[in-house]
Amino acid sequence: MNVLPTVKQEEWRWSDLSGVAAALVQAAANDAAPDAAPWRVGDGPLWVFVDGVAVARHALGRDEERGGQPLTDDARGRGVALDLGAEHASAGLIEIVHFATGGVAHLAHRYALGADAQASVVETYVQLGDAPAWANVAVEIDLAQGARLMRHVRRFERAGAATETTRVRVGQGASYAGLTLLAGEASARAQTHASLDAAGAFASVDGVVLAGIAAKHDVVSVVTHAAPDTASRQTWRAVARGLGAASVSAKVAIARDAQRSNAEQSLRGLLMDRTATINAKPELEIFADDVKASHGCAVGELDAAALFYLAQRGVPPVRARALMTQAFLAQALGQAGDAAARAMFESDAFAWLEAGR
Amino acid sequence: MLNITDLHAEIDGKSILNGLTLEVNAGEVHAIMGPNGAGKSTLAYVLAGRPGYEVTAGTVTLDGHDLLALAPHERAAAGLFLGFQYPVEIPGVSGVAFMREALNAQRKQRGEAELGAGEFLKRARADAERLGLSMDMMKRPVNVGFSGGEKKRHEMVQMALAQPRLAVLDETDSGLDIDALRVVADGINAMRSPDRAFLMITHYQRLLDYVRPDRVHVLVAGRIERSGGPELAHELEAQGYVRAAA
Repeated sequence: MNVLPTVKQEEWRWSDLSGVAAALVQAAANDAAPDAAPWRVGDGPLWVFVDGVAVARHALGRDEERGGQPLTDDARGRGVALDLGAEHASAGLIEIVHFATGGVAHLAHRYALGADAQASVVETYVQLGDAPAWANVAVEIDLAQGARLMRHVRRFERAGAATETTRVRVGQGASYAGLTLLAGEASARAQTHASLDAAGAFASVDGVVLAGIAAKHDVVSVVTHAAPDTASRQTWRAVARGLGAASVSAKVAIARDAQRSNAEQSLRGLLMDRTATINAKPELEIFADDVKASHGCAVGELDAAALFYLAQRGVPPVRARALMTQAFLAQALGQAGDAAARAMFESDAFAWLEAGR
Repeated sequence: MLNITDLHAEIDGKSILNGLTLEVNAGEVHAIMGPNGAGKSTLAYVLAGRPGYEVTAGTVTLDGHDLLALAPHERAAAGLFLGFQYPVEIPGVSGVAFMREALNAQRKQRGEAELGAGEFLKRARADAERLGLSMDMMKRPVNVGFSGGEKKRHEMVQMALAQPRLAVLDETDSGLDIDALRVVADGINAMRSPDRAFLMITHYQRLLDYVRPDRVHVLVAGRIERSGGPELAHELEAQGYVRAAA
């Protein structure tokens, strides 16, 4: 029985789960001892997973590694559980690297930050080989009063499908800053539901969607202002070329008594080829009367006059397009909370642009 | 240096240039004047290779090289600079970063060593200051938030950095007040040299009071109808294009 959602469900209307079927019948190679170094952003705590199973862990305050062997004795081996109190305020950049080798992998991460705790996380999802894989990630995030989480997610899977469902609960005066990059050749979906549950809560759900070849990436971002005096931002930039399709559906929901909510939403798409597709669906659902909700949505092509201007000064066409596309993406990538992560995201996006396919 | 022979060009099937012939030698400043719709800006864009401007007949050479066979960025590397009538705003792209990239792309195409960041910034600062632009403005996104006059000064800074063989200046005087006009004219005069040529496209004689041309041409309906010395500009100003070109 097929229990996967279908495009008839509104939140899945642009999702491409066709790669899941091939992954379901694919055995995992899972024989590699992958080197996470090329994917690292910093030198803080690191978890490495292969096909959903932890194979190496540098835990907070202690190191633990077992080469290519799964850490089967760890009940949390199928995901990372961060339970941080204020004493972990300077844990550094926490990194998670997941390698898919084929078949199905389910990961469940849980980040619980106590009062005034701070953390910065980078999750990187990559693929070894070309066997179809489906890495399905579920993330639960709880931020207590005054906690701050900066989360950066990069997805580069090549074959199969990649999905993520994230639920975020933001407490009083707490803040969640999420930045996602979808840049793989396999279709990827990132879904975030953030709920601002108490006064002073803030959430940003930002990202960059780069769809080339035949990838169909889609983003569903829903931010609910459930309490008064809360603020949110959703900044998404999508670029599609070839037969790629990039879809972003972003919703701001403001509850009846969530007065003085302040929501910003900006969705912009850039079509590099006439064969590519961008879907953008901004939604506002406002039940309170004293709120500020700004939103903008536009899809277009690179400005031909500007491209000619750059060319006239001597910039070759491929480089001119890359420069302008980088500028287009800058607003979203500039939201990365961590400078090293921002540099890495910019470098990832640049590599995608330079690949030109 | 620049040889244009029997040039015909059209936009969207509409003929704009109809047999234009012009020779500009190194060290010379030529002014192209003419009424609205005569094809002045079209000539500038055709020389620079703007997409959509189709050459249907004729030849253009720069230093003996077939200019029409080159892509726009290759023409820039060959020494052609176009000062835009309406400089384009490019949000998100820093002016300094863009010009360094452009100059180094040109140098690479010519087989020259790239300019280091320090050397480039030194030159950019000197040229910007001479033309009354601060480095803060140069670092801002290209032309974004600039006034009309600032955009034209920015064009001149770019020209100074590029050190072109041939500068085609399309209505560089439009949108400038008297003081800005003088600054821009000084910038052009400072770059006059025996191995560089200028083609200045203008409606009015005003700019030519500051930058004295060697030759003045009257462009009407896509052809050069009259040519003369600097006195022709005064005649045009006094009589108008219709009578002067007759």
